[in-house]
Amino acid sequence: MTNGDDVSTPPQSAPQGADYFSVFSLPRLLDLDMKAIERAFYRRSREVHPDRFAQASAEKQQWSLEQTSLLNDAYRALKDPIARTEYLLRLEGITLAEDAATADRQEKKNVPPELLAEVFELNMQLEEMRMNAQMGEDDPQLRRDLEQAQAEFAGQFAGIEAAIRTEWGKWDAASNSDNSADKQAAAERMAALLDKRRYVRNLVRDVQQALGN
Amino acid sequence: MAYSDKVVDHYSNPRNVGTLDKSSTEVGTGLVGAPECGDVMRLQIKVNPETQVIEEAKFKTFGCGSAIASSSLATEWVKGKTIAEAMTISNTDIVKELALPPVKIHCSVLAEDAIRAAIGDWKAKNGVTETAEVAVAK
Repeated sequence: MTNGDDVSTPPQSAPQGADYFSVFSLPRLLDLDMKAIERAFYRRSREVHPDRFAQASAEKQQWSLEQTSLLNDAYRALKDPIARTEYLLRLEGITLAEDAATADRQEKKNVPPELLAEVFELNMQLEEMRMNAQMGEDDPQLRRDLEQAQAEFAGQFAGIEAAIRTEWGKWDAASNSDNSADKQAAAERMAALLDKRRYVRNLVRDVQQALGN
Repeated sequence: MAYSDKVVDHYSNPRNVGTLDKSSTEVGTGLVGAPECGDVMRLQIKVNPETQVIEEAKFKTFGCGSAIASSSLATEWVKGKTIAEAMTISNTDIVKELALPPVKIHCSVLAEDAIRAAIGDWKAKNGVTETAEVAVAK
């Protein structure tokens, strides 16, 4: 998977009455056939392309621009697996920690205590590593520890992404059978996984920086 | 967005950075974090078993300036207070003192959580029941 949330996307508020799934006449499902969506994207793009309306009325030209821009936004939001999951959860009214951070008094997100302890310990090591670097020293043991931590977190990161894909299947199945309780449960598990993914991704980045690679 | 003078002061000269002996029965440790910004905060208190007064407080925080300032201020405030008094410190007091902007309010929430977690740990170690919780209501 790519880091979809690193890509700057326009504000993810869907246009009134339409969401990015409906742009491609799709139900709100997650395990999508991206090849088919890509083909639909190119076909639609040609149909509404501004070049085809160069001689048309100003109104038609404006429509063509709007449709093209909506199509591009929709394709970009659905193409990346993580961006797509986040977009769907927001559509469904689920608050992600990322959004809650700015809320006045956010809902408590429960971080597993063992993860916190691990993160704290890692941060202590990273600080030491940076201080060593400033003094022009290198502690081989510390470097080995951090490299091990890096591998461990990279493994966790991959595991989280796999778990998100597993939840896609559950969401899609619950959607197809119109089971709103199962949908809600899957959505909440995905939100928790996305929060954890963000945390772990930041750790991987910090360790990489400290190791200078 | 500029930091307030008080945040800058606590950030550049953090008070009470350090570690207390986690295994001591007189010490309570609170470890809290906010996944959304990658902040982790450890706050420790050393409580006099006779008087229940917090005699020593230490913290170590990884995070933004506001998170560091919030926890630094929290250690300053809990020192000399009894457990029951410390429980009344709320995040809004921290927001006011440090003039935190809305986007940084969660840092003060984290500091309040850290105080409570440290007190909770101390209570659990010393078999104190939660009757003192009443003191939270202001």
